Amino acid sequence: MGQKVELACIIDDDKIYVNLVKKIIEIKKLSEDLLIYKNGKEALDYFKNSLENISSDKIPDIIFLDLNMPVMDGWEFLNQFVKIKNSFTKKISLYVVSSSIDPSDLERAKSFNLVTDYLIKPIELKKFEKIFGKNAA
Amino acid sequence: MLNDLQLKSILEDFDVAYWKINLLSKSISWSDHFNTLIGSPETKEEPLEYFINDILHQDYRYDFRVHFEKLIEDNQSFNIEIRLKLANDKYRWFECRNIRNKEEGIPKSAVLLFVNIHQSKRDQYTIEENFFYYHETTEMTNTGGWYLDTKNEHIYWDNVTKRIIGCPLDYNPKFKDRLKFYAEDHHKLVIDASEKCQKYGIPFKIELKMISLHGREFWVRATGKPVYNDEQEIIGIRGVFQDIDENKTNEINLRSSLDIIASQNSRLFNLAHIVSHNLRSHSSNLSLISQLLKEAKSDQDKLEFLGNIQEISGSLDDEISNLNEIINTQTILKKKYSKIRFEDALETVLVSISSLINRENAQIIGQFDELDEFTYIPEYLKSILLNLITNAIRYRQPKRKPVIFIRSFSLNDNAYLEVSDNGMGIDLNQHGDKMFGMYSTYQGEQEAKGIGLFITKNQVEALGGTISVTSTIDIGTTFKIKF
Repeated sequence: MGQKVELACIIDDDKIYVNLVKKIIEIKKLSEDLLIYKNGKEALDYFKNSLENISSDKIPDIIFLDLNMPVMDGWEFLNQFVKIKNSFTKKISLYVVSSSIDPSDLERAKSFNLVTDYLIKPIELKKFEKIFGKNAA
Repeated sequence: MLNDLQLKSILEDFDVAYWKINLLSKSISWSDHFNTLIGSPETKEEPLEYFINDILHQDYRYDFRVHFEKLIEDNQSFNIEIRLKLANDKYRWFECRNIRNKEEGIPKSAVLLFVNIHQSKRDQYTIEENFFYYHETTEMTNTGGWYLDTKNEHIYWDNVTKRIIGCPLDYNPKFKDRLKFYAEDHHKLVIDASEKCQKYGIPFKIELKMISLHGREFWVRATGKPVYNDEQEIIGIRGVFQDIDENKTNEINLRSSLDIIASQNSRLFNLAHIVSHNLRSHSSNLSLISQLLKEAKSDQDKLEFLGNIQEISGSLDDEISNLNEIINTQTILKKKYSKIRFEDALETVLVSISSLINRENAQIIGQFDELDEFTYIPEYLKSILLNLITNAIRYRQPKRKPVIFIRSFSLNDNAYLEVSDNGMGIDLNQHGDKMFGMYSTYQGEQEAKGIGLFITKNQVEALGGTISVTSTIDIGTTFKIKF
């Protein structure tokens, strides 16, 4: 894979999962850099901040969003993120990643236009590579 | 006096036929009408024998012959009901009787009348049949009749009503006592329905609780309709009581077991969701690691992954013991109810978390003078108190010393417990539906496992109670449990 994603973002409260994905990205050299937030609120704060100081913070090419999180869960994040998404000039792909196999969750996630896809944990290594390949600059 | 022709036409109009019997020769002559009735047979047989064998229904042959002989031999009059086969081959009811002989001395002749009584006989059968059905129906459905004579202020009950109410058959209820046979909470219903019926003639059909003579409460369905006199004034109400106590009790039991099943079902559904979701997240991590292990190039990487596996198995273990704790809630039926004092339960709980209370400098006030003890599963009360108190301390308002106020009271025969705090409060519009869910932690609390309120709700509901919450941000939260 010649090209790399510049910046990926993981929003997930499962530390082990986050570490594993980090490891995969390292080993497979999928992204230059990685942002990690343990709930929706932390991530949203980052995005709001970067809108206010455009130059200083980087915007990720790709976001992996968990659904079940404390403080602000994935749904709430999506509701808030919809409102500010258009302020970003960059194209951002957002993947909802959850271990929930409940069809109603899947349907609800797909009802958001900004959700590129709904991925069920565990994600195959190859799937990761494919997603990053698609979103490489 | 009427002449023979007139007499004959009258007899025919009333469908009366006759025989004239010469007592000396024993010969019988049939009236024309009799011939018409049975279809003017041409027979060589002796008329009496022909009549008995071919016209008379076999059930009456013996009786008729006996009566007839006594009439001829001893001039003994008789009157029997018989069935005759008519010209159309159908049997009809007739009354057969002789006209008493008024001649002086030894009578020379006798007259036997055949009066068609078929219609009245059929009516009588219909009445008997209807009465039979009516009687069977009232018995089988436990339905009794009543009449309220509002003009003369009298109450009439039939026997089934008396039986339903459990009074002797010679008991007569007094008009002024009429309300005492209804449960107090249904008096208004009874008064409303009977007033409407009495004033405006509106019939009613209601279900209500009655009280038997011996004070037993039971359910009836009551109907009532106005009774009018010739001047079209309402003079009373007539109706029936149907004892539906068995059905109603079954219905109530059924409904309450349905509620229990529904709540158990929703808990099980919740549990299944938790099990699948929470176990899946660990299993998916394991699967990710095994893929990575395959790809790992250095030994150091492999060692690191093995460490991760250890971590995952640790959290999987925690998860399973959490689930166990929840499942244990479902098996409460084995635990025993007993009388427990709120004061004692709180005391035990406070001792067990004294270090937390001291560290946070929390003040806990119990006020149990309204209801100091009640019957419950003691372990549950303690567990509920423990969860609500630690929850209140965990979500304290950081700038204030946590104060938790706990009180018990009773309302409509139900025990209640209220736990109020001066904590940070929660926006129920945003978090209300998730509050009692599994692993819902608020404000990113690290140590919170988020299962306390979930377990509390499960415990309360498993014992048939409910829990509700009110909250104001920055002011505090109150949990109210109805046991």
